[in-house]
Amino acid sequence: MANPLLSVENLTISFGGIVAVRDFSIAVEPGTIHALIGPNGAGKSTTFNCISRLYKPNAGRIIFDGQEITHLPSSAMAGLGIARSFQNLELFNELTVLENMLIGAHVHCGGSFGDRLAAHPPAVMREIDAIIERTGLAPYRETKARNLDFGHQKLLELARALAIKPRLLLLDEPAAGLRNREIAALDTLLTDLARKEGLTIIIVEHVMALVMSISDRVTVLNFGTKIAEGTPAEVKGNTAVIEAYLGKEVALHG
Amino acid sequence: MRIFGLLLAAIVLIALPFFTTGYVIYLANILLTFTVLCLGLHIVIGEAGQFSLAHAAFYGIGIYVTGIAGTKYGLPFPVTMLIGGVAAAAVGFVIGVIALRMRDIYLALATFAFGEAMQWLFQNWDAVTGGPNGLRIAPAHLFGHEFVTDKDAYPVVVLFALLMIGLTILISRARLGRALRAVRESEVAAQAMGIPVQRAKLLAFGLSAFFAGIAGGMFTLFSTFIHPESLGFSTTMLALTMVVVGGLGSIGGAVGGAIVFGLISELLRQAPSFQEIAYGLILIIFMMYAPKGLFAFLADKFGRARHG
Amino acid sequence: MDLELAILFLQQGLVSGLVIGSVYALLALSIVMIFKTSEVPNFAAGEVFMAAAYCALFLMVFRALPVWLAIPLTLATSFLVAALFRRGVLTQVAKASGSPVNLVIATLGLSYVLKGLVRRTGYGDTPRSFPALVSTDSVMIGQASLTRLDMAIFVAAVVVMAAVFWLFAYTKVGRSMRAVGMNPKAARLMGVNIERVHMLVWGLSAVISAIAALLIAPKILMTAEMGSVVTMAFAAAIVGGFTSLPGAVVGGFVIGIVENLVGLFISSRAIVVAPFLVIMLVLIFRPQGLFGGRFAIKKV
Repeated sequence: MANPLLSVENLTISFGGIVAVRDFSIAVEPGTIHALIGPNGAGKSTTFNCISRLYKPNAGRIIFDGQEITHLPSSAMAGLGIARSFQNLELFNELTVLENMLIGAHVHCGGSFGDRLAAHPPAVMREIDAIIERTGLAPYRETKARNLDFGHQKLLELARALAIKPRLLLLDEPAAGLRNREIAALDTLLTDLARKEGLTIIIVEHVMALVMSISDRVTVLNFGTKIAEGTPAEVKGNTAVIEAYLGKEVALHG
Repeated sequence: MRIFGLLLAAIVLIALPFFTTGYVIYLANILLTFTVLCLGLHIVIGEAGQFSLAHAAFYGIGIYVTGIAGTKYGLPFPVTMLIGGVAAAAVGFVIGVIALRMRDIYLALATFAFGEAMQWLFQNWDAVTGGPNGLRIAPAHLFGHEFVTDKDAYPVVVLFALLMIGLTILISRARLGRALRAVRESEVAAQAMGIPVQRAKLLAFGLSAFFAGIAGGMFTLFSTFIHPESLGFSTTMLALTMVVVGGLGSIGGAVGGAIVFGLISELLRQAPSFQEIAYGLILIIFMMYAPKGLFAFLADKFGRARHG
Repeated sequence: MDLELAILFLQQGLVSGLVIGSVYALLALSIVMIFKTSEVPNFAAGEVFMAAAYCALFLMVFRALPVWLAIPLTLATSFLVAALFRRGVLTQVAKASGSPVNLVIATLGLSYVLKGLVRRTGYGDTPRSFPALVSTDSVMIGQASLTRLDMAIFVAAVVVMAAVFWLFAYTKVGRSMRAVGMNPKAARLMGVNIERVHMLVWGLSAVISAIAALLIAPKILMTAEMGSVVTMAFAAAIVGGFTSLPGAVVGGFVIGIVENLVGLFISSRAIVVAPFLVIMLVLIFRPQGLFGGRFAIKKV
């Protein structure tokens, strides 16, 4: 077994005395897609925000590629190669798709003094254009993010995260609100990124068809604790998971 | 269209001293000074989205520091202006540090309070600022040449205005400008993209204060006297009005707003009560019907007329 | 300074501070009221206050109307102007952009218009004094000296505050005002007419400012610049957390007392700068104010 790219050890997070996540650990192998699922309020997004350093954990450690990142600031993540998308869309609304992408590539625009001053640093532009092409945003390059339809806004969230050229991609409900056709495209894109390009992805998602189709491993959270972990097939058959999702009755009688 | 406009502006700027008299040149000097002041406000509010209502204070610091460096210590003007700009920027950084703890209305109120406190200092620190009696400023000089009249100062004022406009465009297009806009649009996302939000805000405040300080220095080039009365909230408001009327968030808006609104305000100067009513109505009407500013409004109308 | 004098100053500062503080408290209430319901700091509050004072001066001195007619007329005018500004201007501003900054700038516009209008009438050009309705004979409280007018100001201000709190806490109108402030969408679903509530809040806020103006006007020289006293009210509102009505009142008294103590113990020149220092200190060390709740963590 290879060394995990990201490991979370005994993470505990509480807000004003209420424990949101308790003693949570996972290890994510490089080049895999690892899903975090669970009912609403299970602590998935909290864990997520903790890994991307928005929230401060009360206890536990987060280790990325052998380096402890538990106490680094959120703005140091991009430089390390950790990118994230936001559940409720945090686009730069008044800026164009291209500008959103350029800001996504912020950490790659700081090379030489010329690069810092350039409106469109050539090396970065090549990468950005490739991502824009690949995600199908090309017709909207000069459109303000605010004026995109919802599906394309979700895509831009993902594309902007890819502009960081991450080694680890954290996706918070990328499929929420998308139509089936769009979910299918997302499925292909994420699978390609992981299988062909070796990108490691952690995904929080409620669309089970997508989770089951793309994930290598699935971790299930309920009430802030891990209740199961395994391959999609293992998790699907786990009684505790069915209980958590459907309630005890169904699990016993169904 | 754009090139034509720039060409016209260049011709006007060059031709002005040959065809007009003292007052028009004085007016041009003032408008260009206000342009630079507005560019500073554009950086902190328009680009970085941080509400700062202390702009007149930084302008004042620029005027006093530049003026004193020239009058008392006899330094030549490029040096005095640099000192003035840097002094304002230093204070701007300090305000930036405070601002990191606040947002929106609280930031607006804290900077407002700072601006008023600074005006009080200008009015009461008699030994340095001359207090309520004001301060005489000796003519600026370079290589033994003194800039006594408005006409003498005019080329230098134009030069500085162009320099600062160029600097603003450079910043706005560069990585730094994008980072500031990212902070304006979403702080969490900016952070996730690797932008140190706190440092970006600090830079915005520092730069904005630097611009105001340079504007203050420009003022000393053609003025011989400064009174603290003109360095209060109303001056900050005037600059804010210019930026908003021109179009918040666009450099062209800040420059155009400074010129257009500066002219209006000068025309109305003879009748202060009319001036106030007109200011107020302009602000209200713009906010009601053209919140993106004069130039976006005209472009919209013009564009529509052309297409439809 | 010897101890005896210090104690005398302390008493005088406290008592005078409570009087002037009650006026600041009223003004702070009128600002916080609007901020709570629409998140707009009303930068025209000072000019509403000033214009109301001039309106009353005009009616009583230049039109020689009796007090019992002039005061209600002044209050009604203030109510109408503010409510119409909300309905006619701010609604359109909100529709045009939705950015709170634009609403703030529109209130700044109103402040300019009001100041210009007062100057236009010519009454604002020279300082004028407002006739006192209560005698200015001195009364002693402990070692502190006060006028009957001061006492009347304090009592009237406290009565108005009590009325405002009663309105917010126990009436249907007050409840819908609070509902709009907390959650406009839910309030609309519950059948609250949001636009009408906003108009009422603006109108009421102007009435409170006008009362503050009528109370303090006899004590000060009236000029078109007298609205600058609103800075003290903003300081009071900030001390109180900017979203708390009781906080605004406490903040008003705190600022009033601090102002007087600074004037007595330090220098009257320092009075002007004291509120700004208070604003900055409070915001630096407790950005949510003394009475404000903690900032919520933004959910992403």
